[in-house]
Amino acid sequence: MEGPAGTLGNLELADQLFLRLASPGPTLQTSGDRGFVPLLARSWTRRDSVTLAFDLDPRARWQDGVPVTARDVVFTFERAKNPAIAPRLVGLLRNVSSVTAEGDRRVVFRFARSYAEQLYDATFHTAPLPAHLLDTMPPEAVAHSDFVAHPVGSGPYKLVRIVSGQFVELAANESFFLGKPKIERVIMRVAPDPDARINLVLSGQADAVDNVIPPLDNIQRIQSDTSLRVIPVSSPTIGFLLFNQKDPRHQDQPHPILSDIRVRRAITLGLDRQLLVHAVFGSYAQVPYGPVSSILWIRNGAPKPTRQNVEEAKRLLSAAGWQDTDGDGVRDREGRPLMLNLSLPTTSAVRRKLAALIQEQLRQIGVGLELQQMEFPLWIERRTAGKFDIDFAGTVQDPSPTGLTQAWSCSGGTNVAKYCNPRTDSLLDVAINTRPKGDPAQPWIAALRQIEADAPATFLYTPFYVYAVRRRFRNVSIMPASSWLMLREWSDSR
Amino acid sequence: MRGWLLGRALQAVAVLAIALTLLFFLMRAAPGDPLSRASEVRPLTPIELAALRARYGLDQPLGTQYVSFISGLVKGDLGVSIEYARPVTALLAERLPATLLLGGSVLILNFTVGLWLGVRQAVRRNQREDRWLTAVSLLGYATPSFWLGLVLAWLVGIKLRLLPAAGMEDPLLSIDAGFGVRAGDVLLHLILPALTLSIVSIAATMRYQRTAMLEVLNLPFMMTARAKGLPEREVIWRHGWRNALFPVITLFGLWLPILVTGSVFVEAVFAWPGLGSLAATAVWGRDYPVLMGASLLVAGLVVLGGFLTDVAYALLDPRVRLA
Repeated sequence: MEGPAGTLGNLELADQLFLRLASPGPTLQTSGDRGFVPLLARSWTRRDSVTLAFDLDPRARWQDGVPVTARDVVFTFERAKNPAIAPRLVGLLRNVSSVTAEGDRRVVFRFARSYAEQLYDATFHTAPLPAHLLDTMPPEAVAHSDFVAHPVGSGPYKLVRIVSGQFVELAANESFFLGKPKIERVIMRVAPDPDARINLVLSGQADAVDNVIPPLDNIQRIQSDTSLRVIPVSSPTIGFLLFNQKDPRHQDQPHPILSDIRVRRAITLGLDRQLLVHAVFGSYAQVPYGPVSSILWIRNGAPKPTRQNVEEAKRLLSAAGWQDTDGDGVRDREGRPLMLNLSLPTTSAVRRKLAALIQEQLRQIGVGLELQQMEFPLWIERRTAGKFDIDFAGTVQDPSPTGLTQAWSCSGGTNVAKYCNPRTDSLLDVAINTRPKGDPAQPWIAALRQIEADAPATFLYTPFYVYAVRRRFRNVSIMPASSWLMLREWSDSR
Repeated sequence: MRGWLLGRALQAVAVLAIALTLLFFLMRAAPGDPLSRASEVRPLTPIELAALRARYGLDQPLGTQYVSFISGLVKGDLGVSIEYARPVTALLAERLPATLLLGGSVLILNFTVGLWLGVRQAVRRNQREDRWLTAVSLLGYATPSFWLGLVLAWLVGIKLRLLPAAGMEDPLLSIDAGFGVRAGDVLLHLILPALTLSIVSIAATMRYQRTAMLEVLNLPFMMTARAKGLPEREVIWRHGWRNALFPVITLFGLWLPILVTGSVFVEAVFAWPGLGSLAATAVWGRDYPVLMGASLLVAGLVVLGGFLTDVAYALLDPRVRLA
């Protein structure tokens, strides 16, 4: 049963146990039918604009020796589309109208409409489960069943044991149809604290560590150990300052300061984003163009983000009527100072450090910023209720750009700042629903240009996740969408 | 004595029930949404949120949720964790042994080494040993345990590689390893976190015991014991120490729950899989079922601590029973 927090650790473990039909290739291209890597599905063919047929690899077996069949795929999607079992998946699979079997080896997906990411939707969100073990079990019984403790998957590794709060032990699946993994025993240790994770690898108790987070001292500590190799990987994370378009006190009215596009653009132009990012992440992050993290394929071909222009920022503020009439360093208009609250969660050290730097840079253009640090649940509650001037948001994106509609279209479910431009909606709609003959990124980039022009947010950073792996391991590759997905191809030279 | 014990036990149960009821409603009165963690990674749409709210009963009126909690509690069911999607009782049962091992070790070290050193200091009042131990105990008391933990992990675990820097057991140990090997391995992992917590708590106990013992040493019954020709060791430990135990027994009652909840930082630094880190994550994510389960344990320990303290007082001092 799907939990509310499909934590990354759980998903990455699932990727070792259960194989998907196919996975996006190294570029993480989600649009169209090409560029995907076959896994359980040996191949796929398009029958028409709303129908895809997958042929399963006849060598594919469950870890109990039973062949993987079309019935497993049909069963899995029936369960995945049940809102009582998987509410999150139901939303992600809303365009999959039916999944049917044609014999044991062929499965046919029909979609509600023609769009570019049908293959992605059919393969990315869930991996097939063994129907022969689960179809007699009531859905609500699965969470407490023996299958959860001893899952039978189709992936390269088998679960040996889970020691709660400590580690998960995996063993190579000797009959894995794509080749037995070269590393026979894998232990995934649990250490939520970043210092503890680094200590585990530096003390020799672990061979690899994921996501070494700032401060930069942490990365320097890793680099000081010459037996370790530092590997930066594109990440799905993006951080930005989100401007509320509505007055937080009277949400049927426009925001008294931020509804003016000149103020929003002035804030973006007043910030030296490259400097901010470098101060916190060193060379391990980039300034994005639009709400695009470094794993989204649409970043290719996007323009460079605008650089700081203090004079233009000051001019825009003056043009909007904001002048420093009393000489206190903060601009004002009709007796009201240009003061804004910046809400951020106390749990994010990165955002806390950046917020202090942003406050200082905005002071240079006469914008006063009051930092409101709050406990994470309270921050989320206020954010969702639209009770903020500027929200320091940090979100994680799926490889598909279609998720952008949730936050940046008028009716988007997570559009808490109430940004609304019908032209942006139209451009996003075109990008999602057309199957362009040329570069598929271009319709998306047109939408990004519009979002940048409207300045509903200042897009600050998309970091690289920094991994460290012992040098003795060969053929190491780390995938941005699922870090240890290619572990089966690593080898140990020792 | 039996009637007194029964009355005191009933009082403890009543206190526990009131505490749990207050905790239930106060937690829900605090700002924050229990599904906030679910929105942390990928923001959820209102439809997805509504479905999850219904699954965890969060869409029910507060009174209905309370009745559901109490009826579950009576049956030994604390509900399902919102964060982990697993039964709370199973989560607590998995984490409790690690917490009891760490907390118990610290408690034993605290009330053996701490008491012994406190008595030594009092007996050697104003001598060089007393002054040194006072300085050391003040230094220990002033040291933040999370900082001490980081330093010990770096120095002993990483630089010297004498002990494991994190974790509770070596996962590479064979599944077939014998009990002795496993126990030795856990003991090695236990040393650094237990030392980190003990240094601070021993320092506090030493100070309490020293002060209590100093008050007793000059009382007339001590002079009587010496006048009877009893050996000094017997005078100190049998006559003096027994009467200097009362403040320390109170301290024991206070330490009991703190050792379960107060090791959050140390558990984090040493990746120790105890209840403290589970409770901290639950507070952060407003995971009500886990919070109530952890609160039940802590409230139970507070009540138990008070109960044991009263019983110890009664055993040591007949006047308490008579009163």
